[in-house]
Amino acid sequence: MSAATTVQRPPRERRATRGRTRYHRSEVAWGAAFVAPAIVLFAVMGVYTIGYGVSLSFATWNGFTPNWTWVGLHNYADLLWASPTYAPVVHQAALNTLWVMIAVPILTVLVSFPLALLLNSVGRMRTVLRSVYFLPYVTAGIAVYFAWQYILEPDGAINLLLRSLGLGSLQQPQGFLGNPSTALPTLIVVTVWSSVPVSMLLYLAGLQSVDSTLIEAAQIDGAGWWRITRNVLWPLLKPITGIIVLLNLRDSLQGFQTFLIMTNGGPGNHTNVLGLEAYRLAFLSQLSPTLGLSSALGWLLFIAAVILAVITQRAMRRAT
Amino acid sequence: MAVLLALALGSLVTGAAGCGSGSGSGSSDKTLVMWTFKQSHVKALEEAGKGFTKQTGITVKVQAYTPDDAYLTKVQAAAKTGDLPDVLEVHTNGDDLTFGGAGLVSDLSKDVDSGWLNSYLQQVRVDGTVTDQYYQSSLKPDSTLKGIKLGQRFSVPLTIGTFGIVYANKQRLTAAGVTTAPTTWEDFIADLAKVKAKEPNDSGVSLGLKAPSTGLEWLMQPMAYGMLGADRFHALWGRDNTTNFSSPTGTQVLDTYGKVTPYWMPGTQTLDIDAADLAFAQGKSTFDIGGTFTLAFLAQNGFDPANVVTFPVPAPAGGAINDLSLAPFTLTGMSVSSTTKNRSGAIQWLKYLAKPDVSATFAKEALDIPPTNLGSDPDSAVGPVLGAMIKSFGSGPSAYNPGDTTYKPDGYNSGDVGAVLMNFTPLKTKTSAQTGAGLTKLIDSYWAKK
Repeated sequence: MSAATTVQRPPRERRATRGRTRYHRSEVAWGAAFVAPAIVLFAVMGVYTIGYGVSLSFATWNGFTPNWTWVGLHNYADLLWASPTYAPVVHQAALNTLWVMIAVPILTVLVSFPLALLLNSVGRMRTVLRSVYFLPYVTAGIAVYFAWQYILEPDGAINLLLRSLGLGSLQQPQGFLGNPSTALPTLIVVTVWSSVPVSMLLYLAGLQSVDSTLIEAAQIDGAGWWRITRNVLWPLLKPITGIIVLLNLRDSLQGFQTFLIMTNGGPGNHTNVLGLEAYRLAFLSQLSPTLGLSSALGWLLFIAAVILAVITQRAMRRAT
Repeated sequence: MAVLLALALGSLVTGAAGCGSGSGSGSSDKTLVMWTFKQSHVKALEEAGKGFTKQTGITVKVQAYTPDDAYLTKVQAAAKTGDLPDVLEVHTNGDDLTFGGAGLVSDLSKDVDSGWLNSYLQQVRVDGTVTDQYYQSSLKPDSTLKGIKLGQRFSVPLTIGTFGIVYANKQRLTAAGVTTAPTTWEDFIADLAKVKAKEPNDSGVSLGLKAPSTGLEWLMQPMAYGMLGADRFHALWGRDNTTNFSSPTGTQVLDTYGKVTPYWMPGTQTLDIDAADLAFAQGKSTFDIGGTFTLAFLAQNGFDPANVVTFPVPAPAGGAINDLSLAPFTLTGMSVSSTTKNRSGAIQWLKYLAKPDVSATFAKEALDIPPTNLGSDPDSAVGPVLGAMIKSFGSGPSAYNPGDTTYKPDGYNSGDVGAVLMNFTPLKTKTSAQTGAGLTKLIDSYWAKK
């Protein structure tokens, strides 16, 4: 009797064939029943809405009329170059968005990394200070942006502070949001203010996971604080920097909450960004049939976000 | 397996149904639900509702959703889920026709008979109906009115009024030696200068330019209409470069309008309409540009109506129209949703509000102007400030009617046009000629869409 004949077959209902396990029908049914709610939910909330959004980007509709009017790729063309009504606004919003995308990640890294270093070196009160620096994140929202508006008004706290410090020439008589040349930089600063806490925490977590023997070895070799920071810590934290830059790029590209609440794109469209323009086309267009344009702009932003993610990922791979 | 799947799916469907398809607005034979986008109308409607309940036994629940954009989104969502109320307050000749074309509100043309219509002022009786102009507009590709049919009526008037009313702080005017309301644009600018000289800090003009259309529609347009007269004013929005905004006439209009630049309240370009009105109520500005509806907001925020002087935006001296007045049009109306379970009750409610005494009481409570005829002495019905506004209304070619948009292209977006105008004043980033060219370029793009 060969060895093969002595080996018993696996149970009929659950045997492996070429790496696959076969189940009894009732088991399959139970599995399917348990998975079904998730699949149905995903079908409704995910596939359906994505499909709905994509198809809407090929139509004109104002949200009320019974039927959509199919226009093919016209919405995309109108936004990008074809329409003298929409393309110039989108171009200006794209330029503003670009400035935000450049400034916010850079400033966030420039502020949060030193802050994390400082916090990491503090022996006492570290928890308290960490909470204090995290406050902007947990309080960020409509109320905080309204508070910022009051601070930035012509008779707000910042002008008052500048006046009392003898820096009256830096005051903004129209308020920091009322002057077209200061409105966008001001919004960038507010955005950075709200994005620093999370970035700082990420850096702090990274700093606390750095092997202390590396620092000690550098110190023994005679490296000072600056040298350790520049040649040891900064390279070790590059992956975190990459994540922070990526997160802030995505937020800058698609986020518009700050802009909507504080300026609504004004004064005179000087702070309009692409995310806000998509919102305005959808909900603030005086019932014009621009929901399709809004959807098309949303998908263009999605494509831009995917491209950005791929580029950033490759850059991170090279850097590490 | 099929049974199990059916059970799983069934539970999901049941759950979803429980969440989504509710009983609509919560109305019944004895209760009506009405939505409004005006907080100042809630109490007044509730007061009127008490009388209606006594008469019919039907209770009216009034719910406000503000601001206007949020209201539209709410209606849009409610229409999708079948949760529309019985009655909706609407922007007349705007939302009502869009909702009607989409089947959200029902056609009232067979319900509103001549007896009912006669209770309204002559000039607003047609408001809310599909005229030939609106019908023709609905046939164009980008129309917001798709689906409407000639002769349908989708709303009846609730409040009337107009834009282009200047509110001024009476005490400060008096202190600066200004005792009468200005009758020309030049007088207006001179008064602004006098008040600024007396009170340099809080003397300015507030206007909610965060919504850029306000500068265009509430201040520049009435002034330009008085300056040019109807035909030349309408030509500013035309395609002829010898008469539109890019022409010397257009530049002249913008230069005249620009004389207000030194007198804007600092930062008014960052304020929304309510915030600008609030600034006036709090004494941060001395002048406030608004409409007939602004008084209610000022009073709600503690400004004494007795301390206000109102006058229409004046025309320049030597302009085409010496006696410029403002023509009233229906600002808001009421529509009956197509899904109401109590249509006859809703119709009764609309009819009840059209009674002159009920309408006057509503107006007095809401500090808004009713669409009904209040006779020769409106002061006694709605008080002296609203009465003065009603008396200042005009008609005919010397009256500027902001509700007339027949000369503008379809798809025209006053917000975008107003944003271009803002670059001239108050932002001062463009000259009048550059602004005129920019306005023409944008307006031409709307014409091109046709």
